[in-house]
Amino acid sequence: MTIDIFWRIPTHGEPSSHRGRTPYRGDWFPGNDNIRKAGLGGGGQDGFSYIDYLAEIARAAEISGFQGGLIPSFPMTDEPWAISSILARETKTFRFMIPFQPGFLNPVVAARKTASLQRATGGRALYNIITGGGGPSQLWWGDSVGHDDRYTRTTEFLDVVRGVWKGGPFSYQGKFYQVQDAGLAHPLSQEEFPEIYFSGSSDAALVSASKHADYYLTWLEPFEQLREKFRRVKEKTDTLGRKIQCAVRVDIVARATEAEAWAEVEKGFNKVDAEALRQFTSTAGDGSESVGAARQRGNRPTTVNSYRDLITAPNIWSGFNLLRGGQTQGIVGSYEHVAERLDELVQLGADAFILASTPHLEEAYRVGEEVLPLVRGKGSKQLLRKVA
Amino acid sequence: MSIEFIWQLPTSGDARYADAGKTRRAERNAGERPPFTDGVSDPRGSRFNYFDYLHQVARAADLSGFDGIKIQHDLQGDESWIVSGYLARGTRHLKLITEFEAAWGSAVYAAKNAVSFQRFTGGRQAWQISRGADADTCLQNADPVAEIDLTQRIDEFLTVAKGVQTQSNFTFKGKFFEVLEGGFKGPLAKHATESIYLSGSSEEDFSLSARQATVHVLDAAPVAELKPAIAALQAQAAKAGRALTIGLRVDVLARETNEEAVHDAQRYLEQSGHLAASKPPLSGANLWSSFATTRSGALATLVGSYTQIEERLAEYVHAGIGSFILAAEPALEEAYRFGEHVLPSLRSRFAEAQRKAA
Repeated sequence: MTIDIFWRIPTHGEPSSHRGRTPYRGDWFPGNDNIRKAGLGGGGQDGFSYIDYLAEIARAAEISGFQGGLIPSFPMTDEPWAISSILARETKTFRFMIPFQPGFLNPVVAARKTASLQRATGGRALYNIITGGGGPSQLWWGDSVGHDDRYTRTTEFLDVVRGVWKGGPFSYQGKFYQVQDAGLAHPLSQEEFPEIYFSGSSDAALVSASKHADYYLTWLEPFEQLREKFRRVKEKTDTLGRKIQCAVRVDIVARATEAEAWAEVEKGFNKVDAEALRQFTSTAGDGSESVGAARQRGNRPTTVNSYRDLITAPNIWSGFNLLRGGQTQGIVGSYEHVAERLDELVQLGADAFILASTPHLEEAYRVGEEVLPLVRGKGSKQLLRKVA
Repeated sequence: MSIEFIWQLPTSGDARYADAGKTRRAERNAGERPPFTDGVSDPRGSRFNYFDYLHQVARAADLSGFDGIKIQHDLQGDESWIVSGYLARGTRHLKLITEFEAAWGSAVYAAKNAVSFQRFTGGRQAWQISRGADADTCLQNADPVAEIDLTQRIDEFLTVAKGVQTQSNFTFKGKFFEVLEGGFKGPLAKHATESIYLSGSSEEDFSLSARQATVHVLDAAPVAELKPAIAALQAQAAKAGRALTIGLRVDVLARETNEEAVHDAQRYLEQSGHLAASKPPLSGANLWSSFATTRSGALATLVGSYTQIEERLAEYVHAGIGSFILAAEPALEEAYRFGEHVLPSLRSRFAEAQRKAA
C-alpha cells in the first residue's frame, strides 16, 4: 500500500513568498482588485493570463512527482472545470482534483463533463465533493437548499452520476433528482469513474461520505483529534461495507534547517497588521454553517504577541491563515521533521495528502526533491508495529 | 458590414463523402484490433482518441480563416464545455461557441466558469443556449421540466448569468433561479460578457432573442422564405433598442464544378440511407433539403461549385444574414477547402461593399 501525495494550484492568488503579499504573481491577490497581466514584464498588456502561470505550476508538480493537484474554488477564483479542461493537453500525468458543490450542476451534465474530461486527459480527473458552507454565501452561488438537505442532495447527485456512468439504462426517483432510462453514450461510457475526495465534518456529511467517497478529506487538526476523526470515519463507513481512506490537506514550510523554516514564518508574521491579528484572535464566527470552520476556530490561542505563541505542537504552526486565506494549521520545519510529521499522520490513519506551499512553483520542486523522498508512508506503519 | 463565418465541430463523429459511415477518427476502443493487417506495424497504440482529431479540426478552422467554431450540445458526443476548454490553448483567433441547455445547472456557476474562459482565452468564449429536446430526452438528462417553461428558463438563466457578471450586488428570484447579493468581484469582475446565440422559430423565441441574444440563428431555408423572419427579428430588436445579428445554420458541399458537387451529393444520399432520389431534392437554388445528417443538425445543404456557393451566401447576406454557422463532412478537409476556395472571395466582396458604403 502506498500513499498518494497531491499539490495545490493557487487559484486564490500567489504572492512570491510567505513573507508578504507583494510582489505577487498572476493577476491579483485577495484584497487587490487591480488586474495585472500574468507575466513579470512590468504588469502591462503582455499577452499572458493567469492560466499561463497555473500551467507552469501543474507541470512543476507533475515533474516533481506529485499525483496532481487540488484546484480550489472560491467566489473570487477561477473555476476548476475550466482550468482542468484548458490544461488537459499540456500536462502528462497531472491529475485534476476538481472541487465542486453538487447543487451547481445537473448530475447527468456532470457525468458527461467528467467522462469527457477523462477522455481528454487519459483518466486524470477526480472529484473533491463539497457540500457547502451554507448561510447567505450559499445564495450568492444561487443555491437555496438548507444544510442537512444539501447532504441528501449530494448523496442523490452521486447516485445519479454513478447510475448513468456505465451507460445505463438507469432510472431514479429522488427528492432532488428524477431520471428515466438514462445513461452515458458510447464511448463516454467506457471511462473509469473518478476517485472521490469528500469534504465535510458534520454527521450528515459522514453518512453521505460513507456511501460514495473513496477518500475522506480533512484540514489539519491537532493530531489526537485527527486520530479520533479518522477512527470515526473508518468505523462508520466500514459498517456500511465501503472501504474509505483518509486524506489531509495541509500547508507546509520546509527548509534545510529548522531555524530557516521558522525564520520564514517569523518574517511573514511580522508583516501581519494589527487589525488582521485582532480579527484572527476574536472567537466570532463568520456566519457560515460549516462545522469544519468552527473546529478550526476552536483551536486558536486568544492572545498572540509573537509567531511563537502560535506553535501549538512540535512543528505545527497555527497562524497560516494570517499569511494567506484558508486553513489555520500547517507544518513548519526541516525537511526531515516535515517528513516525520507526515509519517506520523500516516500512522494516525492518513492515506493521502494534499500539500501546498508558497510560491507553489518553486516549492513544488523543493518539496518534491527534498521532502517526498524522506516520507516512508505505509512503510513507517509497519516499522512502528515491529517496534511495538 | 462585417460577416462572421463559423465552422461546426463534428462532436460525435465524422465521415467522408465517399463513405457515409460515422467514424471517430483517432479513436480505438479498448481491446480493439489495430485496423492494419498483421503484416504492418501500428505505432499508435492507445495514445490518441477523438479529442486529438477535434483539436485538428479546430486548428484547421483557425488556420483557414474562420471566425469561430461551434461546439454542439451533442448527447452522443463529448460535453461541449470540456471540448471548448480542451481547444482553447491550441487555437488563437477562433470564437469558441459553446452550446448547452439552461438545464446545465446553476446560472451563477455557468457564468463563473465563463469568466474563467474569458480570462484565459482573451474573451473568445460565446454561448449558444439550445432549447432542449422532447420530454423523454429531458428526463433521461435529469431534467423533468415542463415544455411550456423552457423559454422562461432560458430567459432567467441569461438574466442571472449576465447579472452576476456585470453587477456587484445582484439579487434575483425567479421561477428557476435565485441569487442573493451576488455578483463577481476582483479579478472576475469587469470582463466583457460572452456573446449569446439563440435560435427557434416561434414568436416567443423571437421575443426572447430581441431581449437577450447577440445572434439569432435561423435554420436553412430559401432566401425568400427567410425574409419575413429576418424582418420580424430586426423589428423586435429595434423596438427593444438592441442590435441583433441574424445567423444562418446551413451545411455546404462545395466543389470545383457543379457536376462534381452533385455527384458527391448523390453518392452521399445513396450511402447514408436517405431515399434514393431520381433528381436532387432541391428547395431552392443549390439548396438541397432532407440531405444533412442528424449529426450535423442542419435542415439543408448548399450544393454547388465554389462560385455558386459564394453567390448563394452573398444572397443571404443581402437579405440580412450576418453570421453563418457552416458544416461539411469531413470537417478537417472541408474546412481547408472552404477556407481556400470560398472564404477569400466572399470576404473581399464584402470588404469591397464596405469600402463603397464608407
